[in-house]
Order: sequence, then structure tokens, then C-alpha cells
Amino acid sequence: MLIEILQQTINGLAIGGVYVLIALGLTTVFGILGIAHFAHGSVSMFGGYLTFFLVTSQGLPVLVAIPIALVVGFLLGLLIEIIAYRPVRDANHINAFIVALGLTMMVEGINLQMFGHEQVVIPTGLSRVFRLGGVTVPELRIYVIIAAIVLVAAMMLFVERTKTGQAIRAVAENRDAAILMGVNVKSIPLIVFGISTSLGVAAGIMVGALFAIAPGIGEGFVVKGFAVLILGGLGSFPGAILGGTVLGITESIAAGFISSAYKDVIAFVVMILVLLIRPQGLLGRSP
Amino acid sequence: MNRTLTFLAWLAAFATLAMLPQLITVKYYLHLSILALIWVIMAQGQNLIQGYTGYVSIVGAGFMGIGAYSSTLLGLHLHLPTWVTIAMAPMVTALFALATGYPSLRIKGHYFAIVTLAFNLIIVIVLVNYKELTNGETGISNIPKLWGGSRDAYFYLVLLLAAFLTLLAALIARSRVGEILLAIRQNEDLVGSIGIAAWKYKLFAFVVSAMYAGLAGALYAHFQGFINPEIFGVAQSLDAILAVILGGSGTIAGPVIGAFLVVFLPELLRFADSFRLILYGLILVLATIFMPIGIVGVCKALICRLSGKGLRHGA
Repeated sequence: MLIEILQQTINGLAIGGVYVLIALGLTTVFGILGIAHFAHGSVSMFGGYLTFFLVTSQGLPVLVAIPIALVVGFLLGLLIEIIAYRPVRDANHINAFIVALGLTMMVEGINLQMFGHEQVVIPTGLSRVFRLGGVTVPELRIYVIIAAIVLVAAMMLFVERTKTGQAIRAVAENRDAAILMGVNVKSIPLIVFGISTSLGVAAGIMVGALFAIAPGIGEGFVVKGFAVLILGGLGSFPGAILGGTVLGITESIAAGFISSAYKDVIAFVVMILVLLIRPQGLLGRSP
Repeated sequence: MNRTLTFLAWLAAFATLAMLPQLITVKYYLHLSILALIWVIMAQGQNLIQGYTGYVSIVGAGFMGIGAYSSTLLGLHLHLPTWVTIAMAPMVTALFALATGYPSLRIKGHYFAIVTLAFNLIIVIVLVNYKELTNGETGISNIPKLWGGSRDAYFYLVLLLAAFLTLLAALIARSRVGEILLAIRQNEDLVGSIGIAAWKYKLFAFVVSAMYAGLAGALYAHFQGFINPEIFGVAQSLDAILAVILGGSGTIAGPVIGAFLVVFLPELLRFADSFRLILYGLILVLATIFMPIGIVGVCKALICRLSGKGLRHGA
């Protein structure tokens, strides 16, 4: 029993890391631009497929394919901001959301067109499995957890310590004041979208390597990402990290002990309960 | 626009539709027309919550699925006549909508959209996994049809229902309730501040829109004779949103036009599924950026300009 719980916790940490990465992108976009970037999940899925394509069809090593996918993700983020979101910046927020829905459909369609309908697993060649007192830990999971921690730490350092990060926080805090202080507010959304999309792509690659990616999986991603935001509190980095980890572990334990078919239902029910009982999230400030 | 003129336009549209079975020689187009009319019901429901109340719900197809499955299963297990189960489907859907709407309408904007999307995902997961009842992904076939599967008769049934429900939507929109819904869309806090319990009206709009979807689902099931969970996935909920936006949200004619477009466009263009997604997505993005008032809004503006009158604010 205890070993089973430990086992599921470790499984949950890996998937939790993926959720944290997705949620960090979403929370940055939402916190700074007020956009519910619904297409985020589909773009993550696209990144996973792109990596698979680079590795299998182009014969690139995984460690080369991943940086390429991350850069493509960054550029895609810029493109999305300029083409889709910038025109509806000053319109009703519902419009931005509907644009996001449209973008989701487009990315899904382009993905189908480019990579087909098949479910794919990114081959990493990492198949060693460690055993620690009855708990089995595949090598890959450890790397995923480490990579997630490194990316999250890098993102935190970027936002907290760099000049650009400072500008981003300033815009989030008070856009008008930031303009008066000479912050170039036009470039901020671009940077935010680029970085967020890269993080999303990283998450998509992790899912593709750990489990599998299939068309339509992006919807699940983005809803999980928002579930993390809701759990942790909107716009809060520590909240996203805590929320993602909690959701990943809860889901794993639920899958192990209750039902793996209904694990997503359980995750969504947790999200809805949190919304009802503590709408500001676990670490959010009360409104 | 002139009232009598509007009335005449509606009458002409209805008469044209009523003559369709005689005009159409290719049976497949009649088939599509029936689907489009079912989608009119769906889109009118979606418009109530999305267009009038300003809450983008992404669970439309899920509710459609609940209607389709409840009508089918009630007939299968309780051996009720088909027209009874079709009438019961919206009631069952309403119960689900009450249970899900009450908590989710406490939250606003994006949150509401995300939570309703989660509901749609949950509905599909349950439909796929509760195999004893739903037969899983394989779905249920040989669903009984009305009048021995006569397309013409079914066309008129769906036409009458679509017309009646469009009229009902118009009556709701013109009533005090409709005004309050519009006010909620404009400024919900203000509605609350003058002592109106906004949540009651939001829940009303949500439940009514779910009943529309439930009925549409039941009509769909007994028309196609086959259902599976995939039909009621998020993609179809997005189609409903597209129909409302494209036609003109917050108008009565908009969902009608939007529904026909959503059903006929991909058939006329004969695209593969992936192209359809790209095209629809593109239309959704472009329409929201360049034509947020929809086709009906654009036509109204044109007519007003031609007749030399200024566009009435908020019309």
C-alpha cells in the first residue's frame, strides 16, 4: 500500500512537471495580457509532433531535435501574438477567447495535415529502469522531472532577475505606469508569447516521450493547464508550481487506486471543487 | 429595420424552407437540410447563453450527447415510443444543466468557458467508458426512426420545431428576462447592484440552452439512427460557437444563417477533415477580428446605410 502510494507519487511528479510547464505559460500570458490562451495545448501537441518528426523522419538526434522544436515554438508564439491576438487586444475579452478557439482549430488542422492521424511516441532510447526498495523509477521520468525543474527555475530567474523580466512584471502590475516609466510595452507581449509557447512545446515533448501524443490531446492539456491555474491561483508562479504538482500526484494516485479511465474526470472534479470552495486558488490572494 | 418587413422576410424564409422537399431533387441535400435545421435548434440555444448573456459555453455538444443518449436509451430499455423519448430528452438534459450550471455560473468569463469545456470532456469520457450503458466508442446503431424513416416527414417535424424554437428564443429575447440577460452581458455587477439576482437569469439561460441542445441531440439520434461519443466531442461545441459568431451573436436570424453555413460549407467545399478544421478556425479568427457583429450585423448595417437611416445603437 505504502509502496504503491510512493510509486504513484513518483509517477505523478513527472506528469505534474509537465502540468507545471503548461501552466507557467498560461499563467504568464493570462497574468500579463489577460488572455485565456486556449490554443496553448494544441501548440504543445504540435511541438511534440514536430520533435517526433525531426527524430524519426529526419533522423536527427533527440538532443538536436528538442532545441529546434523549442525555437520553432518561440517563433510560433511570436506569430500567434502578432496575427491573432494583437488585433483583438482592445476588444471585449470574449473576442480574444473566441480567436483562441479558432487558433486551436487551425493548429489541430495543420497538425493533422502535416503529421497525420497516428498516435506517436517520441523515441528517446532511454529505457533503463531503477529499482529503489520496491519502487520502480524509469530513467526517463527522472530526466523529465529534472528538466522540468531546470526550466521552471530558469523561468523564475528570468522574470525575477533580468531587466526584461522586470519589465514584464511591471506591465503585469500596472500597464500605464510601465509605459510612463519607459517600458516598451509593444515588445512585452511578444516575449511573453514566445517564452510561454516554448515552455508549452517542452511540455508537449515530455508527454510525447513519457506516454504518447495523439490528435486532439491538446484540449486535455490546456484544460489541465487551466485546472492548475485555478488550483494554484491566477497569475501566481508558486501557485502554478504547487497546483501542477498537486494535480499530477492526485491524478496518479486516483488512477492507481480508483480508475485509470476516469482519472481525468477526477482531476476536473478537483478543479471544480476548488473553484467553488476557494475561487482565488490555493495560493491566490483573496479578491 | 421595419417590423412588417422583418416579419415578411421570416415568412418568406419559412415558406422557402417548407417547399424544399419539393424543390430538392438530390436526396443528399435534403439530408443536409435536416441536419442544418437540427443545428438551427442547437445554435439558437447556444445564442441564448453566448450571444445574449455573454457567457461562452463549450458544453453544447456534450448536452446534445446527453439528449441523444437519453432518448435512445429510454427507448431501448423502457420501450417507450420514440416521440415520448424525444420529448423527454430535453428534460433529462435540463437536469444535468441545472446540476452543472449552478456551480459553474458562479464564475465568470474565461473560467466559465474552461469549466464548461471540462464538463464536455467529462461527458465524453463517461460515454466512452460506461460501456454497459453506452456501448463505448462503438456507439449504438439501429436507433428507431419516426414514420419508418421517411425523410420528408422528418424534415417537416424538424422544420416546425426549429421554427417554433426560434420564435420562442425571440420571445425570450424580447421579454424582461431577455433584457436582463443583455444587461448581464453589458455589466453584470450593475445588474446585481440594482437588486436583480443575476445568477437566476444566467441559470435560466444556461438550462434553456441545454434543453435546446438536448432536443437537437435526440432529433439527431433518431434521424441518423447511429450515435457514438465522438459525435458529441468538443469540436462540435466549437462548431456551435462558430455558428453563432458567424451568423451574428445576439440576433435571432444569426443562428439560423450560421447553422446552415456550418452544415453546408464543408459539404460544398468537399474538404478533408483537417482542411475543414483549418478553414473553420481561420473563419472564426477572421470573423472575430473583422466582423464581430456577424453576417446579420453586417446586413443590418448595409440596409441602414442604403435606406439612409443611422444604425440604431445596440440593434
